[in-house]
Amino acid sequence: MHIRRVFRLIGLLLCFLGLSMSLPLLVSLIYNDPSTRPLVFSIMLCCALGLVIFFLSRGEEITHLSHRDGVAIVTLGWLAAGLAGALPFLLSGAFDNFTDAYFESLSGFTTTGASVLSNIEKLPPGILMWRSVTQWLGGMGIIVLSIAILPFLGIGGMQLYKAEIPSPVVDKLKPRISDTAKILWKVYILITALQIALLLAGGMGAFDAVCHTFCTMPTGGFSPKNASIAHYNSPYFDAVIIVFMLLAGINFSLHYRLLKGEAAVFGRDPECRLFLSLVGIFIVLVTLDVYGSVYSSLSQAFRYAAFQVSSIITTTGFVTADFDQWPSLSRNVLVLCMFLGGMAGSTGGGLKTMRVMLLAKHAYQEIFRIIHPHAVTTVKLGGKAVPGEILSSIWGFFILYLGIFVISTMIMAALGLDVISAFASVAACIFNVGPGLGSVGPVQNYLHLPLLGKWVLMFCMLLGRLEIYTVIVLLMPEYWRK
Amino acid sequence: MAHGASFRGEFMKIIIVGAGEVGYQIAEKLSEENQDVFVIDKDPEKIRRITENLDVQALHGSGTSPEMLKTSGIKEADMLVAATDSDEVNLIACLLARNLNAYILKVARLRNPEYLKEKELFSRDLLAVDRIINPESVMVETIRNLMMLPGASDVVDFEDGRVKLVGITIKPDSPYAGRQILSFQGLEGRVLMGAIVRGEQVFIPHGEDTIRSNDLVYLVVKSDAMPYGFGFFEFEPNEGRRVFIVGAGETGSALASALEREKMPVKIIERDAHKCAALAEKLDKAIVIHGDGTDKDLLQEENIKDVDFMVAVTGDEENNILISLLAKALGAKKTITRINKLSYISLVSAIGIDTVVSSRLSAVRAILQYIRRGRIISVAPLKGEHAEAIEAEALETSDIVNVPLAKVKFPKGALVGAIIRGEEIIIPTGNSVIKPKDRLIILALHQALPKLEKLLTVKLDYF
Repeated sequence: MHIRRVFRLIGLLLCFLGLSMSLPLLVSLIYNDPSTRPLVFSIMLCCALGLVIFFLSRGEEITHLSHRDGVAIVTLGWLAAGLAGALPFLLSGAFDNFTDAYFESLSGFTTTGASVLSNIEKLPPGILMWRSVTQWLGGMGIIVLSIAILPFLGIGGMQLYKAEIPSPVVDKLKPRISDTAKILWKVYILITALQIALLLAGGMGAFDAVCHTFCTMPTGGFSPKNASIAHYNSPYFDAVIIVFMLLAGINFSLHYRLLKGEAAVFGRDPECRLFLSLVGIFIVLVTLDVYGSVYSSLSQAFRYAAFQVSSIITTTGFVTADFDQWPSLSRNVLVLCMFLGGMAGSTGGGLKTMRVMLLAKHAYQEIFRIIHPHAVTTVKLGGKAVPGEILSSIWGFFILYLGIFVISTMIMAALGLDVISAFASVAACIFNVGPGLGSVGPVQNYLHLPLLGKWVLMFCMLLGRLEIYTVIVLLMPEYWRK
Repeated sequence: MAHGASFRGEFMKIIIVGAGEVGYQIAEKLSEENQDVFVIDKDPEKIRRITENLDVQALHGSGTSPEMLKTSGIKEADMLVAATDSDEVNLIACLLARNLNAYILKVARLRNPEYLKEKELFSRDLLAVDRIINPESVMVETIRNLMMLPGASDVVDFEDGRVKLVGITIKPDSPYAGRQILSFQGLEGRVLMGAIVRGEQVFIPHGEDTIRSNDLVYLVVKSDAMPYGFGFFEFEPNEGRRVFIVGAGETGSALASALEREKMPVKIIERDAHKCAALAEKLDKAIVIHGDGTDKDLLQEENIKDVDFMVAVTGDEENNILISLLAKALGAKKTITRINKLSYISLVSAIGIDTVVSSRLSAVRAILQYIRRGRIISVAPLKGEHAEAIEAEALETSDIVNVPLAKVKFPKGALVGAIIRGEEIIIPTGNSVIKPKDRLIILALHQALPKLEKLLTVKLDYF
């Protein structure tokens, strides 16, 4: 690892995050709220710290980054982002201790949306906007954004890109990685603008519309309202947000191809087909389950089922109903949704549809082989054989996920949480969903958890967002061996 | 190399078929200039290597598959470079490209001399290959150049050879080791120190810099100035000098015929009896010997100690290195060794091998020269890879014209090596003035290229 290169980029990243606080600052000036001073201080602190690190670590060229540098920059970069994000929370007095501020900030950047705030609405608008901005930046990836903006990264950008967007199959839209990053961000901004416009058209206030959109597109789930989307009780807002949550859960390169005029991309992509069919099946299942038992009308049942399923499977975490009170089948379906997550290349978390699909196909192939021991078979995706090494890397990924999941659940249980809460809190954090079940359910929050429990969950969020390998690699002694 | 985020859209889209050593090198150079590069190869291992190391789009598939070429977007591409090791694949790729996109420029790497003889094959009506690169013939040319300049390790021709860029390795016992650049003032106007390669580093020297032993010094010279003394080159006419060639492959036999025409006594050793017989039939005066180039007794029997040049050009590069070392130990005056792996090139001078030639480096040079033609007329990567010699035209609008060179603010790491004004060639001094339409040979480090472009008001990726 080239320590100077790593820190030089992290210095830049800090400056950058400092500057991104200008939007909340603007909001705070408009509303003339008490968060102006804390935000100005945060900007100055971030930029000053960033510049100091940037200049202290000069001396090495940063154009060629190795794999090792890449994972270090991304992991440390995200930890630093959490720190920068916590500053406005701490300085404005929204939290009185570092752990909670860091939890809220990291939960924002990783687009988890798990909150430790019990009364969100009492915070000044500037701070609420910053909460949303952390999610929006974290969704498409702060590092990918820097690749798009910093042209000198060159091929070094590829190492960072792979570390931050670890997709089972690398999707390069353009020969140059910085162009790919630019396209992804442009598509992201475009869809964001569209959603803001639609929410405004439905009569949502400008501030709320921006905040909610900033948390929908990254599949984040923070809301400036205590009751989340349920606050509005509007079928129109529900519908708009359902559509955009699903769009955010779809691979962004498909959006790009759609915008370029390719027809029927969603239907032709095998992963997208599976993702949308699963969403459909789950909505039907939950609708039938809650019809009669919770809601007396079928349309009500469908409205709430559709919203909750879309929100959880894309790992957004907005709520319009307390699904913790729903019958057991529905709750089970929602937990399954947490595991599945969105598509590879989307802003959603979870295992990703692509991986689940390939694992299922591989498992089927093994069964097939028992029946036809001499058959030559391959796992195919869209007509092309998937190399064995990709399959084994997905299995490794799956096992690691399960292992970390089990250990974290054990720790949470040991800290005194009941079985469901322990399980759901880890699932909600590692899959970047936000609301879980039991004591961390949709109308609860994470404030009551013990200190150690919060740190375990923060670790889970980061693992989930960077998809395990990038973070785990840094913890291996082998990584640090010369 | 971050030049040009602002002028997107003017970049070329280039498809390279074959991610072997040649394709890889070209892709690397072009992606450093921010061109849109697509590389197609059948070997997943090579595709993986290229995706890991280069910022280009690597596609796994066959370059002779129309489907694959369409996927790579050949319809909007500006150029196709067919650089695989197989002539047939390269030709088919060009043919398909022509069929899919009538306007695309096609560069093909071709090695089989029989194809090259069929001139009509490449005409507008048939394959329509715009440029054929034959690394072997380029290499034969390089070897002959090197023989003319026995002290040189690398020679690049500009302006049909009227200006030469000569690379010289400074031996520890050389009288020039330890001398400052300033002390060569007597040569001003005739010879110019262009660049120094020291280990892995390349730099453009200043007056205060000192030449050290084992440096590879690049000099810009007029070819007609070479015979006039200057011990650097040990220039000698070729006639009557004894040459020993090991390996009668395409390069070896082409070289033997060429040298025979120049009336040089040539001996050529080949292990394969059939090749020996065929060659003996083709050659008149040259002596064809059937045997092993690593056989010490055979070499001694054939008077290796009186040989002026030992040229090891078998297909096996490790073998070539050993043959050269052996010949050196047995008394051969100078060795020329063929090496393909470009990563070996920076190593070999350390083990006492004089001069290295590489067909792949030749191919890379030739292809890049063609791609970058435009107002930047040609370009040649120097050994050591991080510097290039660029041939460019001085535009009227540029800040460099009509001012004495000493007053021009050249970017650090760039230097004008020669000015070509019509028939006249000027090796510049501080007082020289560049006129519009002059052609310049500039030596530049990679990081100086963006600033240089600005100064020349030419974009390297003009067109």
